[in-house]
Amino acid sequence: MSATVKIAKPIDWTGIVFAVVLTVVIVVPLLVVGTWAFTNVWRFPSVIPQEFGLKFWYQTLARADVWSSITMSLTLATTVTLLSAIICLPAAYAFARLDFPGRDILFFSFLAGHAFPKFGLLVAIAGIFLQLNLIGTFWGVVLIQLVGTLLFMIWIPVAAFQAVDRRMEEAARDVGASPFRVFWSITLPQAGPTIAAALLLSFVGTFYETEGAWLIGAPQVRTLPVLMISFINNQPVIQYGAVLSVLLWVPSFIALLFARRVVNSGSFAKGFGA
Amino acid sequence: MTTQAAGALAPAPTQGKRPIGLLLVAVPVLLVLWLIIWPIIAAMIQTIWLPTPDGGRALSLSSYQFFASDPYSRSNLAVTLWTTGVCAALLLVVCLPIALYLRFSDSRIAAYVQGLAIFPMFVPSIILSFAFIRVLGPNGTVDLVLNSVGLPKIKSPYLTPWGPVIGLVWDNIPLTVLILLSGLGNVSNQAIEAARDVGAGRFALLWHIILPRISNSILVAISFAVLGIFSAFTLPYVLGPAAPEMMGPFMQRTFRDLFDPTNALTQAVITFGFCILFGLFYVRSVAKNRTP
Repeated sequence: MSATVKIAKPIDWTGIVFAVVLTVVIVVPLLVVGTWAFTNVWRFPSVIPQEFGLKFWYQTLARADVWSSITMSLTLATTVTLLSAIICLPAAYAFARLDFPGRDILFFSFLAGHAFPKFGLLVAIAGIFLQLNLIGTFWGVVLIQLVGTLLFMIWIPVAAFQAVDRRMEEAARDVGASPFRVFWSITLPQAGPTIAAALLLSFVGTFYETEGAWLIGAPQVRTLPVLMISFINNQPVIQYGAVLSVLLWVPSFIALLFARRVVNSGSFAKGFGA
Repeated sequence: MTTQAAGALAPAPTQGKRPIGLLLVAVPVLLVLWLIIWPIIAAMIQTIWLPTPDGGRALSLSSYQFFASDPYSRSNLAVTLWTTGVCAALLLVVCLPIALYLRFSDSRIAAYVQGLAIFPMFVPSIILSFAFIRVLGPNGTVDLVLNSVGLPKIKSPYLTPWGPVIGLVWDNIPLTVLILLSGLGNVSNQAIEAARDVGAGRFALLWHIILPRISNSILVAISFAVLGIFSAFTLPYVLGPAAPEMMGPFMQRTFRDLFDPTNALTQAVITFGFCILFGLFYVRSVAKNRTP
């Protein structure tokens, strides 16, 4: 918070009320899931589990469907992130540095997907994929998730390239550095952290992506979130879902914390909405 | 995820038009054309240009007429509109006080509150669904706590229309708070102090000074929430009742389980129709923030 109006108050009661309510509503449900993951026995009506332990970690990790969906999710997220980087980063550089016909309208065309409700758009894409026999295929899911990464994989790096100090680039050119050398030694190191964060966000976003994978891929292409849906719907053993939640969430959460630290708030906000 | 914020596509520094730029942006732009613009146009064409019994195709509104006359489709649309309306209203009631508090406080508690309010952004909705069931579902944590102090169990919102409402509000708190907060950043301290000096009370301050200045942000926040909630899939699919269902699960079931792409596309075009004003308004505000 930058600017403030001082309200003379000895104790911030409003803040305490908000803090307590939000903690109960936002933190407690996640703690409950975390607790379930490390619980061997928890029968109603005991308020705390009867027995803690790692029993269900061994059982969950022994399941073939869990491993195949972990592999599937990692392969998908890696493929989508790499493809997205290959097609979006040169485009971002062009938007930031070159002038060409239709530059503005093309730049804003990436917003097109955001003018429509997302799942409706996914169904419309699925209609196209049906004719191309892409339903239930790996590449169908790759394409639908790739489209979801375009906007921030272009807009965030554009901001990063524009933030690079151009005087340093010009100075390097003046002392005879080739354009490639300037890009490699001056531009990339400055824009690098923000671009790395965009890549990380793209990876994590794809890893979490549920709706496209479910509509286009399931049941042939089964990612972790898709497996999670079937656990919630059909799996009587609660701990499987809890262990999977922790598996699915904790690594990504650490990655996101890292991303937030790396990106200065300005360009992060540009891609995300603050 | 979204983009709602400030910044500008500054003029490109290179002198003169260089078509090589077009080449570099060609692939992502073609992807947008192929996988966003074209599917929308194709969906509209496909749903009004229907196959006829003699093997040809003819202009017909019969799939829309079916939707309008089918009681099940209509009740799905009604429950979607109800959920969207209730969620949008609840989001404002919940997020406006949080944003106001964050704007006018700089205590350490405020930093904690802000962290918590943004936190759901980093929780995938599928994990939220699971947590919801464990806490508010039958024999969930709330039941455990109530039972331990001798109170009766709650009537669980799981698998009722309130399930998706609670989940969707939880899920949409971060961006609503952030959008409102960025709007409140435009309310100057001078304006507030001036109003205070002439004796304006808290309510008058909110009503006459703050709300008129953030009305645009409120509209953006609502548009964004409506776009996300109207065709939400995961939360209504997992937490909502089997019937009537929201448009998201309804489209999915029509497309994948009933193998009826024409009706699924009709449902999709109908959701576009209901959201188009919010969508255009939202995109226009984002674009406006990004142009010099």
